[in-house]
Amino acid sequence: MSTQVEHSNLHPSALSSHPLIGAREVAKIYRMGQTEVAALDHVSMGVDEGEFVAIQGTSGSGKSTLLNLLGGLDRPTSGEVIFDGRSLAPFSKKEMARYRRRSVGMIFQGFNLIMTMTAVENVRLALAFGGLRGRERDARAEELLARVGLEGRLDHRPAELSGGEQQRVSIARALANRPRVLLADEPTGNLDSTRAHEILGLLRAMVDRDRLTVIMVTHDQELAASFADRIIFMKDGKIIERNAEVRSN
Amino acid sequence: MPFLDILQLSLRNLREAKLRATLTTMGVIVGVAVIVTMVSFGLGLQRNTVERFKALDLFNELTVYGQSVANLAMSRSGGNQNTNRVDENGRRQRPLLPNSKPATRILDEAAVAEIETIPGVVYVEPVIVFTPFVRSNGRVFTELVAGASVPNESSRFKEFAAGSMISSSDAAEVVVTEQWTQSFGYEKPADALGKTLEFLAPPEKKKDEREEEKDSGASFFGIPLDEEESGEDAGKDALVARSFRIVGVLKEQKGQQGGGFRGLTANASIFVSLKAARDWTTEYRNPMTEVALELARSQGAIDEKQAEGFVSATVRVTDPVVLTNVRTRLTELGFQSFSIMDQLEQLRTVFLIINATLGLLGGISLLVASFGIANTMIMSILERTREIGIMKAIGAEDGEIRLIFFVEAAVIGFVGGVIGVLTAWGIDGLSNRLAYRYILKPQNASYVDFFYIPSYLWLGAIAFAVLVSIIAALYPASRAARIDPVKALRHD
Repeated sequence: MSTQVEHSNLHPSALSSHPLIGAREVAKIYRMGQTEVAALDHVSMGVDEGEFVAIQGTSGSGKSTLLNLLGGLDRPTSGEVIFDGRSLAPFSKKEMARYRRRSVGMIFQGFNLIMTMTAVENVRLALAFGGLRGRERDARAEELLARVGLEGRLDHRPAELSGGEQQRVSIARALANRPRVLLADEPTGNLDSTRAHEILGLLRAMVDRDRLTVIMVTHDQELAASFADRIIFMKDGKIIERNAEVRSN
Repeated sequence: MPFLDILQLSLRNLREAKLRATLTTMGVIVGVAVIVTMVSFGLGLQRNTVERFKALDLFNELTVYGQSVANLAMSRSGGNQNTNRVDENGRRQRPLLPNSKPATRILDEAAVAEIETIPGVVYVEPVIVFTPFVRSNGRVFTELVAGASVPNESSRFKEFAAGSMISSSDAAEVVVTEQWTQSFGYEKPADALGKTLEFLAPPEKKKDEREEEKDSGASFFGIPLDEEESGEDAGKDALVARSFRIVGVLKEQKGQQGGGFRGLTANASIFVSLKAARDWTTEYRNPMTEVALELARSQGAIDEKQAEGFVSATVRVTDPVVLTNVRTRLTELGFQSFSIMDQLEQLRTVFLIINATLGLLGGISLLVASFGIANTMIMSILERTREIGIMKAIGAEDGEIRLIFFVEAAVIGFVGGVIGVLTAWGIDGLSNRLAYRYILKPQNASYVDFFYIPSYLWLGAIAFAVLVSIIAALYPASRAARIDPVKALRHD
């Protein structure tokens, strides 16, 4: 909040400087009976590789919709999502699935683990969709869970894990097929403050150490300010304030 | 995603909803069991009927008729060539069959040899039947004697009450029926074994014939054995023409008192080797035949050395399938033939209709089961919407989601099919046992397997169950694949 500097490479006209992932003039309109509701109103933004960006806004501001478009779960009504210099617009359904599998990983507020599978099975499932098999897959699943500090809880089902642990499993799963971007939709919404700090600390470490790119949707000002490199504020489907550099280090 | 992982996922899904999966599978089990039970009953009925006929050698034997010397003689002396149907002497030699041309050739030794070369023919057994006075165990009766091929595949010579088949075509051995042993005063069939059986003939006739045959140089029917035996017997009884040793007593078929009709061969009580029968008929020719033969020879219809041939012969084929081909060939060769198979073609059509009807009834119950499968799948998709959304979010393709549900349905179909087949097999076995115990046994009938499950039936039933299940999953699976991940993840 304190320092608000216009960041040149995030202006739509400046996308040529190649942010890793971004949106160009993206609009998403939902039809509710007769009326049309614009969840996103021609939004442009971009995130560089190795950046940790928070998207903040009240509910209904369109931040989750934007995240779903970036994650390839949905397609915009107009405009385009760009990843690594390529537009997702011409992608077939199959290519979109491939994009979700290889290029981005997603984590959610509700963790979205498959409740009937153990931690390691959840991670293995993502690896299976990625085409990894056999021993290699088992080893990679264990390695991923070890990375998020769950080496001792491989065979626990989600119900037997705490919220923080469940979110760690979902991070391990999101990173299974080595995506370059992690999209987090209110990742700490269901966690207490201590657990929330732990999870975001983990993500921050991955950004700093592995040059992972993280885009996190949150409504928590304090958390966004402490962990993100910058914050994008949204309201009524528009970006009202961008590039708030919040982190000193 | 590798197929093995898809299969694993599908199996896991089924395990997660055990009760529902079980109930759905039950539907398939019932459907398949009904189909297999019903069709196997139809097939069993067909098999039992056909086997009964087969046991009577009606399917692998046919009768071939040649031109008779009597006809030859009469046609040459001004008779009408093509009226052998009204011919008085034709008797039962020429059954009134539609579409069968009258024979134009004599069925002699050469013809028999030629017929034996037709592909599919096992052997040709000329029908040689005569009725001599027969003496054995001190009693004399006229008996019907027939010549039999040695060795012989006919089911008539399959079961013996005592002894066995004539050992070789040169042996002076006979096989008699069980009934014959009774009428000739043997207490048990085994008592007749090794005993002597004599054919009687007029003494002077016998002598003349022998000399005549020797003079005319018709050497192909002389048996050295015959001379020995008759030489021995001559001292005892001048009437004895030929003497044989009884080597086998045929077992009487149940429910077929009086010998019973087996195959197309004559229903005689004494069987000698074909050679011995041929010798006898040549030596003690029927006077009428002799007249015909002389007439035919003098008119030049047949040459001097040619004999009168056989009235008919039984042709045994390897398989009922070749029967038609063999018959076509026989017609080409100029012989008339008859097979009971013609009359049984209709029977096959009847069974086809019965089996189709039974299969249809079973098919309806599987159809009902298929609705159950579709319903289960849809329920399961509603329940797993969120899970499908998650899978899509982590990169599952639509095709993979669809495949998971197809495999799930296929597993239900396969497991249901296998258990259904086993159930049907169990029902069949149980029904057989109950039918035997409460229906057959009280009537002193032997055990009958009423059902028949050929491999194509059970394999086909399982494949059909899998197919129906996959069809039932078509809509649910494509609906699952179309699930919008954004909505699914919001779903609670």
